[in-house]
Amino acid sequence: MKVLLLTTDIYGGYGGIALYNRDFAAAIASHPDCEELVVVPRIVPNEPEGIPPKVRFVAEAARNNLAYFRAIHALRREKFDVVFCGHINLLPFARTISNRPALLIYGIDAWKPRNRRYKPGAVISISDITLGRYLSWSSFGGKTFILPNAIHLDDYAIAPRDPELVARYGLEGKRVLLTVGRIVAAERYKGFDEVIEVLVDLPKDVVYLIAGGGNDLPRLKNKAAALGLADRVIFTGLFPDSEKPALYNLADVYVMPSRGEGFGFVLLEAMACGVPAIGSRHDGGREALRGGELGILVDPASSADIRLAIDELLARGGKQIPPGLDYFSFPNFTSRVHSILHELMDELRR
Amino acid sequence: MCGIAALFAYDDDASPIRREELEAINERMRPRGPDAGGTWISDDGRVGLASRRLAIIDLSPEGDQPLTDTSGELVIVFNGEIYNHRELRARLERGGARFHSSSDTEVLLQLYRAHGADMVELLRGMFAFCIWDKTRKRMFVARDPYGIKPLYFADDGQTIRIASTVKALLAGGAVSRTIDPAGVAGFFLTGTVPEPFTIFESIRAVEAGTAFFIDADGRGKARAHYSIAKVFQRGCSQHAFVTLVPPAMQLCEFVSESLRYHLVSDVPVGAFLSAGIDSTGLVALAKQPMRTVTMSFDAFAGGTSDESRIAERFAAEMHCVHTTRVVTRDEFTRDLPRFFDAMDQPTIDGVNTWFVSKATAEQGLKVAISGIGGDELFGSYPSFTTLPRIVRGMSLARKVPGGVQAARAALAMTKRSPKAPAVTRYGATWGGAYLAQRGLYMPWELPMPADAAEEGLKRLEFFERAEELLEPDPSSAFGRVATLEATLYMRNQLLRDTDWASMAHSLEVRTPLVDAWLLRQLAPLLTNEGSASKQYFADSPKPALPDYVRNRPKTGFVVPLIDWAQLEPDGTGTRMRSWAKRVMETFQ
Repeated sequence: MKVLLLTTDIYGGYGGIALYNRDFAAAIASHPDCEELVVVPRIVPNEPEGIPPKVRFVAEAARNNLAYFRAIHALRREKFDVVFCGHINLLPFARTISNRPALLIYGIDAWKPRNRRYKPGAVISISDITLGRYLSWSSFGGKTFILPNAIHLDDYAIAPRDPELVARYGLEGKRVLLTVGRIVAAERYKGFDEVIEVLVDLPKDVVYLIAGGGNDLPRLKNKAAALGLADRVIFTGLFPDSEKPALYNLADVYVMPSRGEGFGFVLLEAMACGVPAIGSRHDGGREALRGGELGILVDPASSADIRLAIDELLARGGKQIPPGLDYFSFPNFTSRVHSILHELMDELRR
Repeated sequence: MCGIAALFAYDDDASPIRREELEAINERMRPRGPDAGGTWISDDGRVGLASRRLAIIDLSPEGDQPLTDTSGELVIVFNGEIYNHRELRARLERGGARFHSSSDTEVLLQLYRAHGADMVELLRGMFAFCIWDKTRKRMFVARDPYGIKPLYFADDGQTIRIASTVKALLAGGAVSRTIDPAGVAGFFLTGTVPEPFTIFESIRAVEAGTAFFIDADGRGKARAHYSIAKVFQRGCSQHAFVTLVPPAMQLCEFVSESLRYHLVSDVPVGAFLSAGIDSTGLVALAKQPMRTVTMSFDAFAGGTSDESRIAERFAAEMHCVHTTRVVTRDEFTRDLPRFFDAMDQPTIDGVNTWFVSKATAEQGLKVAISGIGGDELFGSYPSFTTLPRIVRGMSLARKVPGGVQAARAALAMTKRSPKAPAVTRYGATWGGAYLAQRGLYMPWELPMPADAAEEGLKRLEFFERAEELLEPDPSSAFGRVATLEATLYMRNQLLRDTDWASMAHSLEVRTPLVDAWLLRQLAPLLTNEGSASKQYFADSPKPALPDYVRNRPKTGFVVPLIDWAQLEPDGTGTRMRSWAKRVMETFQ
C-alpha cells in the first residue's frame, strides 16, 4: 500500500496540527501493509526530526510556491492507493492527484464555507463538532470518520512542582489555574478573558497562569490590571516545548472555557499530568473531556458556571490521571487510523 | 411539573402552621399534579411543605414529593424540570454524592448540599422550589431565570405562605382577598398583572431569576441569579465568536441543543404546531417524527387566520402523527366558566393556550413543546423596529424647541388611536415607548375609580420598573427591546398564561426557545443580526423550512373573541378593552 499525505506542517513544525499530523503519519507508517508514505509539507519551520521509516518526506516542496507546484506535479506521475489531504486549503492540489482524496479537518478551518468546489472522497474529522459544522455547509454525503487527537501518556506524568518555575512565576503558596494556548487578537476564543473576569471572585491565593505568546497579550495584561489582578494573572510568554510537562505540573486546575477549539488537545496534556480539567461544552473541549466524564464542562458565556467549576475542583484537590484518558492513547489512535485505512481500501476495491 | 406549597411560621410569636390550610392549598392545585400528592410537616410544626405531582421524570414513587434527603436534613418541594439533571447527577457522583432515585428533584437536594445558594446558576430548566434546611433552620426559595414556573408568597410578618398559584394561596383561607389597586392598574395598562404585583394586595410573586432565604428574621433580600439585560450587554462584547460559525449553523446547533434538553422525559413528548416558523422550526430540528397538535376555530375555517392547512401539510412532510382539533362556539361558551376559574390572575390572553392544551391532553400526552418565545428571541415583533424609532424621534423632539408640540400635532393628524398621545408623553424613554406601543389602556384612561387609579399607578411605578429591567444597559436597541419584551410581555403574560392554561389540563408545556442557556449562546449573534435571525432560524433545519411556511404573512394567533364573547365596541379593533373588563369582573 502506497499512501500520500499532503500537509501544512508536520516534521519540524509547531503546534497542535503539526503534532496531530506526525501522529497520523506514524500510525499510517506502522500499518503492516504500508510500503511507503509520501509526506508533502507546505512549511517546514525547523529542522525536521523523528521521521519514521517508510516515510518519504518531500521537504523541498516547502521551499516556495513554485517548488510546491513542481512537487505536486511530479507526484501526479506516481500511483497512490490512498491520498490524504491534510488541510481544506490543499484540497485543490489533492484533487489533481486523486479524484477521491480523504480530507482531514480540525477546527475553524472547516467551520465556514471554503473550497466548496472541490469535493473530497472521504472526511476525517478531529471531532464531532467540526464534522457537524463541515457537513452543514459542504453538502458532503460520503464516508466520514472521527479521529480525535492522541496523547502519548509516557511523555507526561504527575510530578512535584518545579522549584525553578515556581520561583520564576512567583507561585509559592499559590493555587494555580492554567491555560495553555496562543494569545491571538483575531482568535479570542480560548476563554482567557472569561477566566480573568472570574478570578475577581476567587480567593486571593488563587492565581491564573497563562502560558503562551501572541499579539493579544498586552490587551490581556491591561485587562488584568484594570480589574486589580495585575499580580494574580501571570503570563509566561512563549515557552520551550521541553518545559511543557513541568508547566502543567504547576497547575491545580486546568481551565479553558473556549468557543473555538476543534478538539482541545491541551486538555489531554493537562489530564495526563493529573491536573483536573475544565473545558467548554460548546466546542471540541466537550469531546476532549468525553462529554464531562473526564472533567467538568462549562458554558463559556456563564461566569458563574466557570467559577463554580473552579471552586469545585479546587475544593476537591489532589491529582489523578483519569482512567478514561486511555481512550486517547496513541495505541488506540493507531488502531483507529488502521481501521480508517481498511475502510478506505475496501471502498476503493468496490 | 407540579404544584407546590410551603408554610413557614418563622417568627417566634407565630402560631404553628395548620395541616388543614396546607392541604387546602394543595388540593386547589390538584389539576397541576393528578398523579400523586403529599405533605410534610416538621416535628415542631413550624414548617410545612406540600406538593401535587405530574410524573414526567422518574415515574416511580421514589420521585414523589416532598422529598427528604438521606440525612433527613433537607426537604424539598419542586415544580418544573431540570433538563440537565443527568449531567449534574454525574458530576455530583464524581464528587462523591450517592443517589437513591433517578429524579431531578433529588439532584436539587444534592446540588444544594454541594453549592448552597449558588446551585441555581447550574440549573438548565424551568423551576420553582423550596428547600427546608433543618440544620440551619432556614428555607431556600428559588425561581427560574425567565419565570416559566410561577411562585407566589404571602408574608404577614410572622408566617410566610408560598404556592405555585395565587388562587391556591387564597384557598388556604388565611390570606386576605383585598384587591390591590396597583395590580388592577397594571392589568389595565398591559393586559396582565406585572410582577411582582398580583391582583391581591397580600400576595406577591417571587420574581423571576431570583432566590432568597427565609429564617427566623423573615424573608432575606432576593438575589438575582440571572439578568436578561446583562446577557445582552455581554453578548455585545462577544462579537468575535459570531464570525467563527455561520449564523444559521449557530442557530441550528444551539436551538437543537436546547431542544434535545427539552425532550428529556420518561413519557412521550408532543408538540404544538402552528403555521409559523417557530413551531415548525422546532419540529424540523427535532429530527424525529413527533405527535403534533394544531388547534383551529371553526369560525375561521378556510380563512387567512386558519393555520390548520399549512400545519397539516408540514406535519405530513415531517411524518408526524398529527391532530387538528376544531373548537366551536358552543365549546368555547361551555368552557368559559372553567377557563375563568383556572385563570390564576387577570389576563386578556390564554384562550388559545387553553384549547390547544386541552386538545393535546385529549391525545393522552402529558408533555408538549411549544414555539413560544421565538418572536421575543428573534425580534420579530413590530416593536423591534418601532420602539427604537419612537425613542430616537422623541429624544430628538425634546431637544428642539417646539419639537414635542410638533410631534403631537403630526401624530394627531395621522393616528386615531386613543393611545397616540402616549407617544409624545412617554416616548423618550424605552419603558414609556413600550407602553405607548404595547399598552392596553393609557394611564389617564384606566377604567377604575380615580383615587384607586392614582394610588395604583403610584405604587406600580411602571416606568421606573421598566428602566430597572434595562439595568445594566443591554447596549443595543435590539437588546433593549428584547429585554422589555421578555421581561414585561413574555414573563407576565405569555409564560404565566401558558402555565395556568396548560396545567388546568394536566399538561406540561416546554419552551425550547425560552431558555436562559440558549439566550447566553445566541446573544452575540442576536445583537449582531437583529431581526434577520428569524430567517437564519428558518434556514437552520436540513432541509430548510419550506417557502409556504417562511413566506406566510405573520398573523399571530387570533381567537374569534369578538363574536363568541359578544364584546362591545371599545374603540380598538380587537375589542380587547371590553374583554379586559369582562375578565376583571371575575376577580371582584
